[in-house]
Amino acid sequence: MSALLARVRPSLVKYVAITETNLQNQLAYLWDFVWRSTFMVIIMFVFVRLWSATYESQGATQIAGLSLRDTIWYLVLAETVVLGNIRFAEQVAEEVRDGSIAYTLGRPYNYLLYHFANGLGDALMGAAFTFLSGAALAWVMIGPPPGSVSELPAVLLVLALSYVLDFCLHGIIALSAFVTEDITAFQLIYHKITFILGGLLIPVDFLPDWLQQIARLLPFRLIAYASGRLLVGFEPALFWEFLASQLLWIAVCSLLLALMFRWGMRRVSINGG
Amino acid sequence: MRRLGNELGFLVSLVKMNLASAMEYRASFVSQALGMLINNGIYFVFWLIYFDRFQEIRGYRIGEIYLLFALVAGGFGLAFALCGNARRLPYLIAQGRLDYYLALPRPVLLHVLMTRCDVSTIGDLSFALIAYLFTGRLSLPEMTLFALSTLLIAVILVSFSTLFGSLAFWMGNAQQVSNQATNALITFALYPAGLFRGWTKFLLLTLIPAAFVGAVPVELVSTRNPYTLLQLALFALAAATVAMLAFHTGLRRYESGSAINVNI
Repeated sequence: MSALLARVRPSLVKYVAITETNLQNQLAYLWDFVWRSTFMVIIMFVFVRLWSATYESQGATQIAGLSLRDTIWYLVLAETVVLGNIRFAEQVAEEVRDGSIAYTLGRPYNYLLYHFANGLGDALMGAAFTFLSGAALAWVMIGPPPGSVSELPAVLLVLALSYVLDFCLHGIIALSAFVTEDITAFQLIYHKITFILGGLLIPVDFLPDWLQQIARLLPFRLIAYASGRLLVGFEPALFWEFLASQLLWIAVCSLLLALMFRWGMRRVSINGG
Repeated sequence: MRRLGNELGFLVSLVKMNLASAMEYRASFVSQALGMLINNGIYFVFWLIYFDRFQEIRGYRIGEIYLLFALVAGGFGLAFALCGNARRLPYLIAQGRLDYYLALPRPVLLHVLMTRCDVSTIGDLSFALIAYLFTGRLSLPEMTLFALSTLLIAVILVSFSTLFGSLAFWMGNAQQVSNQATNALITFALYPAGLFRGWTKFLLLTLIPAAFVGAVPVELVSTRNPYTLLQLALFALAAATVAMLAFHTGLRRYESGSAINVNI
């Protein structure tokens, strides 16, 4: 065990250093993050108005088991996951298109792990600003978040895994550039599926039954919906279901990602410098 | 009068050139337009699901949402299909890329705005037509008002982008501000007007004029009230005037970097 740790540790330190470096770079562009988070404020303001009016017109305190406060705080976390995700697919596609991937492959790191570590720095900053701006607005307009602090570690674990799963799915899209070169259409379709089946615009609980059943079979709800749903209504059974599904999907997607990467590497031709 | 005809002829030529240039890459043209059509369609799916469950929200039913989306997407599509550079104005100013236009004997602002066609907006225009068909408002007066409203929305959107884009003359890099302002305008415009009251409603009729891009045109086509048409037309005129004034005032502060740019 200690031998394994001794082998893994230098690698881990390397990727942590990459994340730290990117995080420091991002700190130089604080105003960019402030501007980016204004969109969160706008969209959350609209959501608060929309769902307040909806609960009011229905004369209901709960819809599909969620109160108004639950719905708004759910949306804060769902938007945070999607707006503050790891953005790297376009960069990989660009490297494949212009051939610069040939240079980056020679560097002493795993290509995909590098992008994960590098993107994480940007994502952490983006998610922090997005969440804080959305949470501040929700707190002022609706009230404090539901749930208790004791459930927070479980919510954070599912949140962290949702980032990993999103990275894997984006990775599959990015590596499809080896075949299609342009990945814009795939990215667009992925994002739009997340809007509805991932629960970004509307909680999955509010979807018609037949659509909820489809959403359960796919990985998208494990990204935007899972952590938000646990935050506003923690149930141990639901937590274990999300955790098991996330681990399963991460395993499947990682395997696919590794196979695609190996296959893609065979197609790369390096013709001198 | 002859000069006006001359300038109009020039602008028509620009539009033709832009379309011909966009059509040069057919696959890219089709994929971008189709992508935008799908993009708009997904937002629409949200409303279909919403109204399937809740039926009505502050006086809006699914029919009003069809009309709202048709008008906003149509106005947006028309605006940036014709004036594709409106959203790139901060970049053009900050990079000193106005030199090319300043040296030519044409109206600078219109020339800058209309030199580019945003290809994806063809998807918005297609979506607008499909959504309008679903409204079932197919009488001649309604279709005329729809077309007129779309044109006025386009004027407001281009003016708004120009106004915020012109901030680059003072701020340097105004791309983020301009993008976020346009995002805010479109986001607010795509939701039922009744959701916003008090100071928010005032804001949406003034600083972020989303009401004139969404709610007011919907009311116009629904009620056929000539007073509403007058309101919308006057606001579009005022917006265009303010945008032109802002651009030309800012232009006096413009400094080129003596960079050599090639316009293709």
